[in-house]
Amino acid sequence: MKQTTTINPTWCPGCGNFGILGSIKQSLNKLGLKPHQFVFVYDVGCSGNMADFVYSYGFHGLHGRALPVAAGIKLANHQLPVMAVIGDGGCYGEGLNHFITLARGNHDIVVLSHNNYLYSLTTGQMSPTSKKGTKTPSTPEGSLEETFNPLANAIINHATFVARGFAGNIPHLTNLLNQALNHKGFALLDVLQPCVTYNKDLTYDWYRKNIYDINQQGHDPKDKKKALELAYQTDKLPIGVFFQEQKPTYHQQVSNFSDTPLAQQDISNIDLSSLL
Amino acid sequence: MNTSFNWKITGAAGEGIKKAGLIFAKTCFKHGLSVHGYTEYPSLIRGGHNTFQIHASSADVVAPRFQLDVLIDIHGQAKDIHKAEITQQTVILADNLPLSDLVKQAGGSSKMKNMVTLGASCFLLGLSLDKLNQTLAEVFAKKGDEIIQANHKVTQAGYDFAQKNFKAKPPIKANGENKNKIFLTGNQALSYGAIAGGLKLYVAYPMTPATSILHTLAAKAKQANITVRHAEDEIGTANMAIGASFAGVRSMVATSGGGFSLMTEALGLAGITETPLVIVNVMRPGPASGMPTWSSQGDLLYVIHASQDEFPRIVLTPGDPQECFQLAKLAQNLAEKYQLPIIILSDKYLGESYFTIDKPASKHQNQRYGFAKTEDRQNDQPFPRYQDTDTGISLRSIPGQLGGIHLCNSYEHNQLGYATEDSAERIQQVNKRAKKIPQILKDPDFIKPVLYGPKTASQTLISWGSNKGVILQALPQLKSTNFIHFPSVWPFPAQAFQTLIQDSKKLITLECNSTAQLNQLIRQQTGLEIKNKLLKYDGRPFFPEEIVNQLS
Repeated sequence: MKQTTTINPTWCPGCGNFGILGSIKQSLNKLGLKPHQFVFVYDVGCSGNMADFVYSYGFHGLHGRALPVAAGIKLANHQLPVMAVIGDGGCYGEGLNHFITLARGNHDIVVLSHNNYLYSLTTGQMSPTSKKGTKTPSTPEGSLEETFNPLANAIINHATFVARGFAGNIPHLTNLLNQALNHKGFALLDVLQPCVTYNKDLTYDWYRKNIYDINQQGHDPKDKKKALELAYQTDKLPIGVFFQEQKPTYHQQVSNFSDTPLAQQDISNIDLSSLL
Repeated sequence: MNTSFNWKITGAAGEGIKKAGLIFAKTCFKHGLSVHGYTEYPSLIRGGHNTFQIHASSADVVAPRFQLDVLIDIHGQAKDIHKAEITQQTVILADNLPLSDLVKQAGGSSKMKNMVTLGASCFLLGLSLDKLNQTLAEVFAKKGDEIIQANHKVTQAGYDFAQKNFKAKPPIKANGENKNKIFLTGNQALSYGAIAGGLKLYVAYPMTPATSILHTLAAKAKQANITVRHAEDEIGTANMAIGASFAGVRSMVATSGGGFSLMTEALGLAGITETPLVIVNVMRPGPASGMPTWSSQGDLLYVIHASQDEFPRIVLTPGDPQECFQLAKLAQNLAEKYQLPIIILSDKYLGESYFTIDKPASKHQNQRYGFAKTEDRQNDQPFPRYQDTDTGISLRSIPGQLGGIHLCNSYEHNQLGYATEDSAERIQQVNKRAKKIPQILKDPDFIKPVLYGPKTASQTLISWGSNKGVILQALPQLKSTNFIHFPSVWPFPAQAFQTLIQDSKKLITLECNSTAQLNQLIRQQTGLEIKNKLLKYDGRPFFPEEIVNQLS
């Protein structure tokens, strides 16, 4: 099955995006989704440049705005699986209000956040997830903001699936992606992604030494308090499914919800008699 | 017998001014009168000075009137504020109507003071108290019989007091019944028109004076089988509507100037991705927070040029609720036909004023435009979503469709949708998009300027949007004057306009902004300089009397 276009990826050699793309391909294969049965919404950034390489329905939107486009597609056609491919800058910076609100609404989309702790496409400025004091071209004396915590924010804002993966562990990441795609509701999969060009501290080796799998250690994703506690951990970085619960999705709760998606409803004859 | 009257109720926010005004307007409508309701209010919930005025007539009325027959002054400030509207014939109900005592005697609550004034007004204007009470029963149906009965006692007390103490005006010549008419605001008409045009998803963030579109559509969502979402902000709103539209659904968003500013990047997104999008901008004076509850036509040139770089768009400028309905429906169809953003420019005066119009047809047909059949295509070959064509319009496929796989791209792209920075491909796509403009101007469905009044006249008024009703109301009182109304301004219908002014002598533009934006646009697009301009930009609409005074 054709999964990629004829355009060669333009990412730097060794970029975490290659691993993430590998996981996406394996996951779609595993779930048996053909390229026309799936929609990607791409944000702007190195991750979003994947738009040209993946063979599938896609919408390459504005910086920070992938999530509302994805939620709009889902409301229009709830039979389609929809995934937003976005970076830490777009998701937790420019588009944070969308992230929080759509999580609270349990919009049935997967948010695949490529978290490399920097703005890399704009040549390596600090991002919301950069550690306080990070020296970058926009913060030569060190960044002044405390770090944004994506997982804790997702949990307290009622996301119903919250997980973290690592771009250097493709089988593990693929498994998380399968679970995120099978989940009905707002799913955040935050991916620790080395940026080999601009982030010399957070290398593949560093991550391998500092991450551990919480599910292997017996964490129960139903335990919300424990999930929040794990999200706050910084000495070591937990990966795996932090939290999951089943709740009605946004589209299932709208007043005119029907099995026939809005996009397939006939509008050729509209009768206003009962309205006027 | 009188053929028309002008009635105004005033008081502080929280004193039920708009409620009372609306009930009285509906009472007038029940008499078979043509009714126009105009409201002024500050942006606050308690205090300030609120007004609701009703121009009612046995002939058609399409505008407010300035001089008052009846003025109700509940909090004792109206006589100063509305000095210029008062004549020797104006009956003022203020201290001479003991509201608190009458309410108390009738066993009502202090909230019902406004209803006393309505009972008294029925007597003064020769209207039926029964019809007022009937309206009250309808409006308060959900509150139950006890409340309705209590209000009836209060209106009776007002009526009886007026009968004893005031002299009635000659009664209004009522037509009996308003058959096939409807009494509604421009925003309501626009909401219904969008539904008629196949709207399926409406997303909005509240902003005065566009909010009543959200309220109307949310209230009717179930009945109309549409989805309505109050989103996180205007940016999310516009992006969500674009996503839904990409997936094949007709969507719409509405806001005022500030929210439109936030949507501007998404406007460009709809432009370059060639995704249908309808944005309604119900204008208020600005910039920034401006005067939220007042009216303006200051955004004309802004919305024509909003967003970086160049792409085709359509700007529609409805003049009355009929056109709000018609153009909201048309916008849904044209946005899909031409795969571009459409802006509907309304304003507070049109959006929130009440008009009596012919009931729109209840049955509506919609055609679908531009969807490719792709089942026979190979699913492993990208669909040429941005194929260059003679008309600039390329076929679309929607996600889920076999054989239609493509990338909808906010980056400049090639014919397959993939990002490009190639010189020839960039020029090709810019030109492809631009080809839609002449197609739109040739399209008989695209609404063009209209001439009202005599075919030849010694002066021709030229205007756009909500001034239409006001000018039409003034026209019979102007000597040898006709009027050209622009229900659309972009793409600029230069040829249609030039044909209409062929025999014109003196041209005068009229608009509610300080720099004569339509006047500038006409000059830019036709080279014609029109020296005479009537401008108003204090947040109020023109009143017909002002136009008559200035042109006589």
